[in-house]
Amino acid sequence: MTVTRQETETASAVSVSSSKEPKRFKLSHWDAKYTPYLVIAPFFLVFGIFGLYPLVYTAWVSLHDWQLIDGDQGFVGLENYVRLFGDANFWNALFNTLSLFVLSTVPQLLAALGLAALLDRGLRGSAFWRAGVLLPNVISVAAVALVFAQFFGRDFGIVNFLLGFVGVDPIDWRAETWASHLAVSTMVMWRWTGYNALLYLAAMQSVPKDMYESATLDGASRWRMFWSITVPSIRPTILFTVVTSTIGGLQLFAEPALFDPGFAANNSTGGSDRQFQTLVLYMYEKGFRLFDAGYAATVAWMLFVVVLLVAIVNFTLTRRIAGKE
Amino acid sequence: MSRRLVGSVAATLVMVLAAGCGGSSEADGKIELSLGLFSDFGYDKLIEEYMASHSNIKIEQRKVKMEQHNTQLATQLAGGRGAADIVALEEGVISQFRASKDKFVNLAEYGAKDLKDQWAEWKWNQGTADGGEFVLGLGTDMGSLGLCYRRDLFEAAGLPTDRTEVAKLWPTWEDYAKVADQFTAKTPNVKFVDTGRNVYKAILDQTEEGYFSAKDDSYIAESNAKVKTAFETAAAIGAKQQTGALEPFSQDWNVALKQGSFATTTCPAWALALIKAGAGDAAAGKWDVTTAPGGGGNWGGSFLAVPKQGKHPKEAYELAKWLTAPEQQKRIFKETGNLPSQPKVYQDAEVQATVNDYFNNAPVGQIFATSAESLKPTYRGTKDSKVGPVFGTALTRVEQGKQSAADAWTQALKEAQDAAK
Repeated sequence: MTVTRQETETASAVSVSSSKEPKRFKLSHWDAKYTPYLVIAPFFLVFGIFGLYPLVYTAWVSLHDWQLIDGDQGFVGLENYVRLFGDANFWNALFNTLSLFVLSTVPQLLAALGLAALLDRGLRGSAFWRAGVLLPNVISVAAVALVFAQFFGRDFGIVNFLLGFVGVDPIDWRAETWASHLAVSTMVMWRWTGYNALLYLAAMQSVPKDMYESATLDGASRWRMFWSITVPSIRPTILFTVVTSTIGGLQLFAEPALFDPGFAANNSTGGSDRQFQTLVLYMYEKGFRLFDAGYAATVAWMLFVVVLLVAIVNFTLTRRIAGKE
Repeated sequence: MSRRLVGSVAATLVMVLAAGCGGSSEADGKIELSLGLFSDFGYDKLIEEYMASHSNIKIEQRKVKMEQHNTQLATQLAGGRGAADIVALEEGVISQFRASKDKFVNLAEYGAKDLKDQWAEWKWNQGTADGGEFVLGLGTDMGSLGLCYRRDLFEAAGLPTDRTEVAKLWPTWEDYAKVADQFTAKTPNVKFVDTGRNVYKAILDQTEEGYFSAKDDSYIAESNAKVKTAFETAAAIGAKQQTGALEPFSQDWNVALKQGSFATTTCPAWALALIKAGAGDAAAGKWDVTTAPGGGGNWGGSFLAVPKQGKHPKEAYELAKWLTAPEQQKRIFKETGNLPSQPKVYQDAEVQATVNDYFNNAPVGQIFATSAESLKPTYRGTKDSKVGPVFGTALTRVEQGKQSAADAWTQALKEAQDAAK
């Protein structure tokens, strides 16, 4: 989406500059007209090979009885999709995905906003703090998940140990749906809050300072300035992070997978009763444990549709709010 | 968004390149063979020796975790490239790969049938198809069953600690459950067994038929009373919170071993190394091995097979044949404790005399060889590896207190039926 917009912007910028100088050689006219396309071509080439082709091929596989090793076992039309809509495990995975998405994204973006506001106040050693908040994001997700899985251990986990001090009984973090969702969301928040905070910070720094000055003269509080000046000014960035977090959140895989000790044993149901099995985990179970590639492809396509739907909702929201300004 | 995309594209490229490098090739005139293994087969020294005596052959070992190995192999077979020249197939999944045997070399073409008498008959049969006409894999080790227990924890609970005395406590699994009650009554804060799943698996591995009929591979879990009995026995122990409700061989399991929070665990021969690694030196001499309730059984053990996509099937076969030969199996047992799958080797006086000093000098050679003599291998259906885990998670639900044994059983049957389709 963003790329296409950039492309048209660049193209129009180029055509404006070329119309200013109409006496140029044809070759350079051709050059100005087509070079941008040539420059962006590699992206679309790579996208075509690694994005579009698998997408179409997956759709093709989903219309077949397809076994992972033995391949195509015959065309079945929409049978996989019919099966999917009647599959309680699919709906469970969809619920888990949405629940984990909400539980991790909403607090994450709010925390990022607060963090960015703090960083924007010109702390001593700001470069250190700014690099610091990004640190969780550059650490490998596998490492993060392994450490958090131990934090949330039932018998010897540090979280239960700390809860013990305030008189809370040990929680079996993998047995209860809400507890497991909380634990997995914590991991996601840990990884992405700093990243989003930096995006917000960049946007906040471009907010004109004189707006704050005049607000101060008018006697506005910091809190009021934050909600009435800062947040409205960085709205496009907020919407951008909402969209990226949506896509990332709906495709959640590594965190819940590594949180499940059964995953290592290829017993990857996301909990003993699929308490935290996301759509991608369900797809993995079907495709790589049960070797039912056709059905896994169907789940993949439904996930694509879900992401698309949520993205469209977000996109309309973006346009509506941008139109207001 | 685009950053993530670039990241994933880069990752894909790396994978493609890695896969591209994986195939065997001939560098400096040498034939390169790759071995796709998991955990420890004990081949390091043997491979060096083989390369020294075969100057034209270069061997590369690839070791990954077993589950990853199986999934990777499946995709490599499906894609027609990337598989190692020799791959290990574990006993639990070989039946699944047997269904896709056209992706493998029939080792009979290179004379494998002449080797038949080396192995225990059941082990040989597990590695073949079409009534023995198609030789899929040559047997490596086997997983004859024992039971490991903590001497100090048994003593604290007022139970005997001597391994022959302990064995007398539990001729059957019902007796084992009774010992669990006694143990818990005395020391309620220690779990009697690590997980109900392994108890269940061990009981089931002592029967000749499990989820599928040995006759025609049809799904019989619902009508096979032995499956239900095994499930109920394990679930009863789990429902009484006498298990640690641990995922077998996971990180949590290792921590529990180190903390000494459970007193017994099922012990196929290969599990000794895992217990030693998990419990560490501090627990040396505290663990001991004895015979399992209910007699012999087999859990695990592997085969070496040659995928068709390899360029050097003959050389690969020669290497697999050498690695699984009696002399090498004996050496591997002495170095790693992996139990040979060949009667001549496990009956060998030297093997029988082997003791394991970490396990309080337990005569492991004798314990496991005796168990191997009496074992009746379970028939593994083509979809065994898909159905089995369903009952495992059901037991975890009971251990977690989420479901009654009866409800967990009902749900497991429903899911298993789905997985067996």
